[in-house]
Amino acid sequence: MSAAPPSSTPPVPVTPAKADQVDWAGKHYLVVDDFVGVRQLLRESLRSLGARNIDQASSGGEAMGLLARVRYDVVLCDYNLGEGKNGQQVLEEARVRNLVNPSTVWLMVSAEKSVESVMGAAEHQPDAYLIKPITEGVLLSRLNRVWHKKQVFRMIDQAYAEKDYLRAARLCDAQIEVSKVHELDLLRMKARLMEKSGQPTRAREVYERVLEQREYQWARAGLAKIRLANGEFEQARQAFQGVIAENRYYIDAYDQLALAYQNMGKLEEACAILERAAKLSPNAVLRQRNLGNIALKLDNLPMADKAFRKCVSIGEYSIMKTPDAYLGMARVCGRKSDPKEALQWLLLAQREFGQEHPDIQLRAKITEGLVYHESGDFRRARKAGDELEAMLNASGERPDIPTCLELATLLFAVGVKDAPVELLCYVIRNNHDNPLLLDEVQAIFDKARMQEEGVAMIRASKKEAADLMNQGVLLWKTGKLAEAVAWMRDARKSVPNNQRILFNAAQIMVSHLQQQGYDAALSGEAYEILAHVDYLLPGQQRFAQLMEQLAQLQPAADGSGAATAAPAPS
Amino acid sequence: MDDTPNSQELFLFLASTAHDMKNSISVLSGTLERLLVDASPDTSAQAGSAYPQMAHMLYQTKRLNDNLMQLLALYKQVGKPAYPFDVQPLELGQLVEQVVAIGRVLLQSRGIRLELDYDPGLIWHLDEDLVVGVLSHAINNAIHYTGERVRLAIRETDGWLELRVEDDGPGYPAALLKAGSSATGSAARGTAGGVNFLTNSTGLGLYFSSEVAKMHRHRGRHGSLRLENGGQYGGGCFILRLP
Repeated sequence: MSAAPPSSTPPVPVTPAKADQVDWAGKHYLVVDDFVGVRQLLRESLRSLGARNIDQASSGGEAMGLLARVRYDVVLCDYNLGEGKNGQQVLEEARVRNLVNPSTVWLMVSAEKSVESVMGAAEHQPDAYLIKPITEGVLLSRLNRVWHKKQVFRMIDQAYAEKDYLRAARLCDAQIEVSKVHELDLLRMKARLMEKSGQPTRAREVYERVLEQREYQWARAGLAKIRLANGEFEQARQAFQGVIAENRYYIDAYDQLALAYQNMGKLEEACAILERAAKLSPNAVLRQRNLGNIALKLDNLPMADKAFRKCVSIGEYSIMKTPDAYLGMARVCGRKSDPKEALQWLLLAQREFGQEHPDIQLRAKITEGLVYHESGDFRRARKAGDELEAMLNASGERPDIPTCLELATLLFAVGVKDAPVELLCYVIRNNHDNPLLLDEVQAIFDKARMQEEGVAMIRASKKEAADLMNQGVLLWKTGKLAEAVAWMRDARKSVPNNQRILFNAAQIMVSHLQQQGYDAALSGEAYEILAHVDYLLPGQQRFAQLMEQLAQLQPAADGSGAATAAPAPS
Repeated sequence: MDDTPNSQELFLFLASTAHDMKNSISVLSGTLERLLVDASPDTSAQAGSAYPQMAHMLYQTKRLNDNLMQLLALYKQVGKPAYPFDVQPLELGQLVEQVVAIGRVLLQSRGIRLELDYDPGLIWHLDEDLVVGVLSHAINNAIHYTGERVRLAIRETDGWLELRVEDDGPGYPAALLKAGSSATGSAARGTAGGVNFLTNSTGLGLYFSSEVAKMHRHRGRHGSLRLENGGQYGGGCFILRLP
């Protein structure tokens, strides 16, 4: 079997009348089913559509092997594959590992109406769900429908993949005008794009427009999510409960409801709702992890134990596998005063995740310190603290903010002084305009009986970051563009995770590109900065705006480049 | 479905058995359809009665499949929030295309003509799998009782979508017309097809169809199912109305 070239996607005009023009005979197919009779039947059906290239797999593992070698145009995959990966896990892994093209048609087959098809918001959805028995005619009809929908969404998906959300939203508007049957899907996509570009008000308008037509639970859930993001937790709670009352399988609403409860400080309720969701849909790695974490906070050790173990076992077949479950198990063992088993889990975590998670050693060591600290072994806890300090000194890399705070708290608790202070200053410098976080940092200083030092440290670190930024903006405002770019480049080196500084750096670079002409290296640098800031906190309006401006500056883009003037950095 | 460990276990067991049975039925009906297509009635003249017998086997296999699907849906509490109900906008052209595709071989093998009357561009919001299932089942049933043709007519009237499956057979017996009307009535649940469950499985199909109809709700209205005799051909009429 040779690797097929990626399928070409000819720009077929989008009209249903062209349905019969799709050349299904020339496509490359993969059929995945654990039952040989069904595989043969599907192969016969595909052959009568004229198909010649049909590969088969009898298990998820076998399917992954084929997907890794061949680019398929169409995948027909059974959901239930017996032992090993199920169909959803095959799909997720294929998408995450980029083993399928955006144009690949993925049809998920099941014996009965699957709960997964109505769970909502699952990140990796197949293009359609088919229920057995599948006759030739139904297969052809669904293939054609998916194909045409993909044509409608092709440009939008591309803009989405490039994270040019505002362009994608404009393309949605244009398609809504001409393709009535996809109106709702297009509106749903547009709402999502508005959320991703930090414009919840416009997302809300879209959801309300949908609800004027029909009572769609995804639109209700969308409105509730906006309330949640606005801090209207009680209203969000009611709205999510309404969605669940209408559709018990809308699992995403459970996860969101749990978040609302967490924000209201009602951990018991959050835990109970996640437990219900995990019963309805037990194979989601991240939900089991969240359940484990909340149960741990509530000191409900049996439930935390169960959730983390389940998370580990389903992770075995899933690309979503996470070290959090292993670290969580270690915490559970520590609370049960079994540090020996805790260490086993930590070793396992480092062995399993050493490659994809470079920070796993540090995180395992933090957990080790917590385990010893909680089990009252202060000598070993202090030893872990010293080792952590050494690790921090040896590397300039710092973990994410929650881990930094957890680490600083632990280090203070076990009696280490310098490393946590340095760590907290790093946190402030990179978040100098986030008052809530600064309060949290001050609280950690207070707890370590370093209240006054804390106040001084915060003031100094804040000023350091503000000065860095102001100097860059001053250079920019006085027209010294090249110097401003150079200054921001240096500023970024000393505070690599300060979103405000990163945004301003990108803004100044966009300005430079607009005024001094396009430069591939500078444009690439701006993209890199924006990608990083989006990684730190997705869904910000400035990100969407700058991505759009940058895209318009690209020479290949549709003609008129540097037309719009960049707004001033703020 | 309560959440006791026993019912969970039973559910998993049923689900995996159903999965297995569906595979067998898929292979059965798929193979039969292929055999029927390959052996058209005239070429197999010398084969004697094999062709009509195969056609009858296909009809029975489809019945088996429909019943299994309906039982599963009832077990999953079709009609209640617990059912994974999935409404999407759909062009009638797409809906009819699938119903036709599912019935094609059986219709041909029985020499029955399916007449269609609908606007393919009309968009309606419905649970595609359920409605395709209901219509296919109704057509399958009509094929068994009709003379030589079956009619699928869909039209919009006053904000309702009316889907009619009509045949030119002797029509529904009086008892069934009564059961049909009670299945759609408000006090239906317990009694719906009670009598018919005992005599044949038509009651299951009607009960299921009526539950599917009722699940479709919009602005305070919900769908309904009605049986009549008459229609364009003067035979049985199966009428699904969706808001």
